[in-house]
Amino acid sequence: MSEKTVCIGFLGVAHMHSVSYAANLLRMADVEIVGMWDRSPSLAVDWSQRLGIRRYEQAEQLLDAGPDAVVVCSENALHRPLVELAAGRVGAILCEKPIAVTLADAQAMIERCAAANTRLQIAFPVRFAPAVVELKRRLDAGELGQVFAVNCTNHGSMPGGWFIDPELAGGGAVIDHTVHVIDLLRWFWNAEVTEVYAEVSDSLLHPGLGIDDAGLLSFTLSNGVYGSLDTSWSRPPSYPIWGDVKIEVVGERGAIYLDALHQYVTVASNETGKTQWVSYGSDIDRGLMADFVAMVRSERAPSITGADGLAALAVALAAYESARRGEPVPLENVIPSLNR
Amino acid sequence: MQKIGVIGTGSIADVHLEGWRRMPGVEIVGYYDLLPEAAARAAQRYGGRAFASLEALLAAVDVVDICTPASTHKELVLAAADASKAIICEKPLARHSADAREMVEACERAGVMLFPAQVVRFFPMYRRVKERIDAGAIGKPAVYRSARCGAFPRPGGKFSAVHYADFAQSGGVVLDVGVHDIDFARWCCGDIERVFARGLTFAGRPYQDHAQITLRFVTGAIGFIEVSWAHPRGVFRTRVEVAGDGGLIEWDSLDRPPLLVELYDEERGLQRIASSPTAPEDEPYYAELAHFIDVIEGRAQPIVTARDGLEAVRAALAAIESMRSGWPVALKEFGG
Ligand SMILES: NC(=O)c1ccc[n+]([C@@H]2O[C@H](COP(=O)([O-])OP(=O)(O)OC[C@H]3O[C@@H](n4cnc5c(N)ncnc54)[C@H](O)[C@@H]3O)[C@@H](O)[C@H]2O)c1
Repeated sequence: MSEKTVCIGFLGVAHMHSVSYAANLLRMADVEIVGMWDRSPSLAVDWSQRLGIRRYEQAEQLLDAGPDAVVVCSENALHRPLVELAAGRVGAILCEKPIAVTLADAQAMIERCAAANTRLQIAFPVRFAPAVVELKRRLDAGELGQVFAVNCTNHGSMPGGWFIDPELAGGGAVIDHTVHVIDLLRWFWNAEVTEVYAEVSDSLLHPGLGIDDAGLLSFTLSNGVYGSLDTSWSRPPSYPIWGDVKIEVVGERGAIYLDALHQYVTVASNETGKTQWVSYGSDIDRGLMADFVAMVRSERAPSITGADGLAALAVALAAYESARRGEPVPLENVIPSLNR
Repeated sequence: MQKIGVIGTGSIADVHLEGWRRMPGVEIVGYYDLLPEAAARAAQRYGGRAFASLEALLAAVDVVDICTPASTHKELVLAAADASKAIICEKPLARHSADAREMVEACERAGVMLFPAQVVRFFPMYRRVKERIDAGAIGKPAVYRSARCGAFPRPGGKFSAVHYADFAQSGGVVLDVGVHDIDFARWCCGDIERVFARGLTFAGRPYQDHAQITLRFVTGAIGFIEVSWAHPRGVFRTRVEVAGDGGLIEWDSLDRPPLLVELYDEERGLQRIASSPTAPEDEPYYAELAHFIDVIEGRAQPIVTARDGLEAVRAALAAIESMRSGWPVALKEFGG
């Protein structure tokens, strides 16, 4: 029983996740990648040759090819123009996180897609990590009783490139690494962050970087849980892995420790001169792509919506504001569902 | 659509059937078990029917999945080969080398696939170890080490069958468990030259068995395997490391898990639950069965052959012989 082929295009591939997304789509039956476009010709040539995907000179031409859906993996600041360009021309869009660099951009993208009848999904692949799914199941079952607090990290290595350009990225480590974990917490409890306090520093770990590379958020959620999140680009090149996603939950009956991606073999290689943790875990991008393709094929709403993307972005932006003002920042006025 | 027949519906068959049940492109047609109630129970749980005879099952299916004790594999494989069915057979391929050889040759003659269910090759961490070795990350493998330690499969335990306790049927821990690690060691380091082993197999301890096996590979690499049915109940400990002339790969089941739960209540005290979940398609038994189907439908080359199954049995039996004699056993001359 073969399904109708789903045709997908890539609008912007500056985010390195685009490679894994495309590789996963290429392995799926009844999915075709009709082409790609990126504003950087050299990146577009490299990327398209590496994956064997047709390259278009103009974004318009790619849309003219009539894909059912597009994946937007450009620099953060270009999400809005590219999503707006595709809205109404395709049935669905998968937009890399963070949804945008300002709330106004995010709001405009959501409204434009709604008006054009294009379904907008945000790429939060960590929801598809099997250990995360298992944690959610245990929380849903109420194993911990009342939950008090969460202690979270989404550490990373300093990515360089456009990620450290404030114009294109909208910020550094805080905007890059707040949104994954906040999305998971919102999803676990169907709750919103109500207040954020943050300590953020530029160039603290990487002298001369010129953008924030260290951030500690302290927040409260609408379900009464409070928590912390370390977003720092604090894994040096000598560390065995790029980073982590950890959530430790403490409640009235016990504690659960999630280290979402910790399924590694340790490889020490004289060739690389270093010891690395190499993942053997299930590919979370495969789960995200399968979910997205199933959505494109059906009539259903995206599992992760533009509103989810906006709510996570709002927390990152509030963290910057808190760090600037030196005081906790309430989110009532920015997250629509908190403002009823 | 592949029509699947399962022979022997005990503990491991349940694991296979959970996989078959959710695999596209296959149909569970039915079961044959010496105990009719075992086959009936499987039919009730997983659908399909209980067949009254092996012949009746063979007449109704394309593929047979043999999940009976080792000592019964030969007659079942020979019957299935005679009926030209594709075969997946649980490890160890046979209880004796001569039986395994006869099975391999009969299937080669009949032109049917005999796939030994060496499932360790499908565990994602072991897969990654092999893949990194093949990528050259550690240079040439030199010193291999692995372990697989659990409690005796006593009646009443999870794998509750009595045949494990009967050395004549199971070959003890060295054959039943050792074939897993021996096969994986061969996958990483190539053919085995000789083995030396010490253990409890002949120590006359009821419900305890344990062995340490030292290997020399044809390439010159050396290896060490520990297998145990003497560890505390509830424990299952595995680990593997391969050191090469350019690096080292290691993994240990005691590494921190991606999810650890600690719950306390007055009645039960502290409970600690570790888990390391995978996506359903990466579950190793499912991946093994799906690969077997890919192979028989021509979409993949087998990553393990019937000859590999035979060689793993031969090396395990050589280790048992070494335990008995106190001398190293060269595989070339060893008939088993
Ligand atoms: N790969 C693994 O991880 C793994 C784990 C457990 C067992 N195994 C292997 O699977 C095999 C079966 O082990 P088990 O624990 O499931 O045993 P079991 O005793 O639970 O089940 C075996 C079943 O086969 C039936 N049977 C015995 N002889 C038969 C015959 N001649 N014809 C038809 N049915 C027959 C029995 O009645 C029983 O129902 C063994 O070779 C064992 O080594 C592999």
